[in-house]
Amino acid sequence: MTSIAGGHGEANPNSSWLSARGFWLAYLLGLLSVHLLFLSVPFVSIPWAWTATNLLHNAAHLYFLHVIKGAPWLSTENDPSRRWTHWEQIDDGVQMTTTRKFLTAVPIVLFLLTCLYTRNNTEHFIPNFISLVVVTLPKLPQFHGVRLFNINKY
Amino acid sequence: MGNFDGDSGTVFEQSYATTNGNGKVPNGNGAADLSAPEKQELLRKFSAPAYTEIRTRRCQPKPANDAQSPSSINYHPEKKSIPNGHASILDQESKPNQAEGKLSPELEHFQKTSFEEVPLHTACLTYLGFYLLMILGYINQLLFVPKVATEKGRDGYVALYDAFESFYSRYVYRRIKDCWNRPICSVPGDELTLKDRVTDDYGWSFKFTGTETRCLNLGSYNYLGFAAATGQCADDSEESARSSGLAYCSSRCELGDNEQLQELEALTARYFGVEDAIVFGMGFATNALNLPSLLGPNSLVISDEKNHASIILGLRLSGATTKVFKHNNMRDLERVLRQGVCYGNPKKGGQPWDKVMILVEGIFSMEGSIVRLPEVIALKKKYKAYLYLDEAHSVGAMGSRGRGVTDYFNVDPKEVDILMGTFTKSFGSAGGYLAGSKKLIDFLRTNSHAHCYAASISPPIAQQILTSMKTIMGEDGTDIGRKKIHQLARNTRYFRRRLAQLGVITYGHEDSPVVPMLVYLFSKIGAVVRTLTTRHIAAVGAGFPATPIMEGRIRFCLSAAHTKEQLDFALEAIDEIADDLGLKYSRKPRDPNPVIY
Repeated sequence: MTSIAGGHGEANPNSSWLSARGFWLAYLLGLLSVHLLFLSVPFVSIPWAWTATNLLHNAAHLYFLHVIKGAPWLSTENDPSRRWTHWEQIDDGVQMTTTRKFLTAVPIVLFLLTCLYTRNNTEHFIPNFISLVVVTLPKLPQFHGVRLFNINKY
Repeated sequence: MGNFDGDSGTVFEQSYATTNGNGKVPNGNGAADLSAPEKQELLRKFSAPAYTEIRTRRCQPKPANDAQSPSSINYHPEKKSIPNGHASILDQESKPNQAEGKLSPELEHFQKTSFEEVPLHTACLTYLGFYLLMILGYINQLLFVPKVATEKGRDGYVALYDAFESFYSRYVYRRIKDCWNRPICSVPGDELTLKDRVTDDYGWSFKFTGTETRCLNLGSYNYLGFAAATGQCADDSEESARSSGLAYCSSRCELGDNEQLQELEALTARYFGVEDAIVFGMGFATNALNLPSLLGPNSLVISDEKNHASIILGLRLSGATTKVFKHNNMRDLERVLRQGVCYGNPKKGGQPWDKVMILVEGIFSMEGSIVRLPEVIALKKKYKAYLYLDEAHSVGAMGSRGRGVTDYFNVDPKEVDILMGTFTKSFGSAGGYLAGSKKLIDFLRTNSHAHCYAASISPPIAQQILTSMKTIMGEDGTDIGRKKIHQLARNTRYFRRRLAQLGVITYGHEDSPVVPMLVYLFSKIGAVVRTLTTRHIAAVGAGFPATPIMEGRIRFCLSAAHTKEQLDFALEAIDEIADDLGLKYSRKPRDPNPVIY
């Protein structure tokens, strides 16, 4: 237990590691590789591959950005970020930063592409739209620190 | 080089001319008059930070008057298109240098600083590598929990570590923990002896093999080579232990004071050319326990973003309001300073602060960069702030007389309100000091936590400081100290230029003995450190979260005890490893001429 964040810089790297160079490209490449993986599975049609990609991506967003609280490092701080989700820690809570805009835009663009490739089929549209609302709503500035119905409060 | 004696200056001057590629000694006639637009362009260029800032994609509004007043410090550039960083064969003109007294300190600092942005594909690969490590860590956490990761006898108690908070330490960092924490069984001089260990479970537990590896030491802060088992320092310390005992076991305010420590404080004050000084037994505590004595709730501190954890802890204990400016970015420092002074304390409705303090380090131990002290002092005077200078790494290692960055920049030490440093690096001992005006030191003697409650310095440790400091000052009747300072400077220049010639990316100022070599990928840190060990070279890796996520690095620390043959041996090994692991990321042109020591 000798690796403690904050020794030579910020006490919570969660606020800035998403802002470093190369993150956007790595993120999009990771997403693309997952999608190609689904496309390469036999017997899975293209619309289902897109829906699976979208749902999996939004599930990852929901879990890693809006469910997990705190940071996976021991810190020199007394960890005020323990009560914040990862999304609320980005850029120390400052809203409308480039990172936040990027992370908000990706689910929306992915949803639009999925609608395009599923030809707006109702069977695909409903789960895709619900997952989009679920991951976009907590990203709004008005919902910073808000716990609807005390979900994920502690 | 104005900072050195004539003979060594000649050597450096020749070396400088050779790296120019034209074989001529610069004669200073290259300076030409510039037209007004060119001067304006140069002003705008050199008012920029010394480093190309890492693109953090933050949407911070820029001050509207940035374009109108790029800098409060007047620059007097004499030439245009001065290359950034290393000398280049593309620049056929001779450049003025400090030896001729033509360049202002700001231009020279900019010219000598090395920073290069990470290539995009390398940054992308670093992220993907980290994703992979995190995924493997999650799988490990779910499936494999060895006994050492569980807590026993904890019924009815809260867990010592939160499972999520300890995730990184246990499942990511553990795999390369052996590259960070390595037991040695010798004095960390120019060489050291490692105790070999093996692990059967990927770092959860280690076993000693009973064998040892003698390595060239590039990992210790032994800047002036005073960490030695033999010599005057060792002899004096041994004698002091025999005559005075090993410890006083009391604080300075009680039974822990004696003539030796008073002599040490007087010598420290004389060393820096200030009125008085106070010494402490622990370097970390010098910052952590004295900043709360100096600052209060109505104080504003403007701190560099790369400052050390001891400073961060001290600031938090003090209760002062802390603002952070970008690393070594004078424009950002002035922006934060101006806003803080103009708007006052927001918690008190905009009332003025009791005091405003700028807090910087002399050499930043992770970056290898040197503070831009003349510009910081100019801003301090303009806004009437205090200046606290942490010289933990730079004292002894910088300046022609080893007095630190004030010596290096030829700045009056009284311009710096509080000079802080440690004895743990260049002096080969332990503890820290604060130096400044007598009024300040007298205040600290009655109000400092570290002075009133902590144990005083152990007698042999104090003797080590006294002997090494007198050696540096030349008061021992020899010129060993001056030779060590020159040797460190030559080693630093030589090593940095050779690394630049290899094509690896290094950070920091060319006069800084801390040489971070960027390897970026997390797994490469382990590969480099372990491979260097097989070549009998001991080095230290540094990675996330101590550094930004895609800036893993190997930090080489040079010493006056190293010889050219030792450096050549290390550089040859680094060259081979850089070729094998693909570490030559630099896109700058390389100097084909041999670097003269």
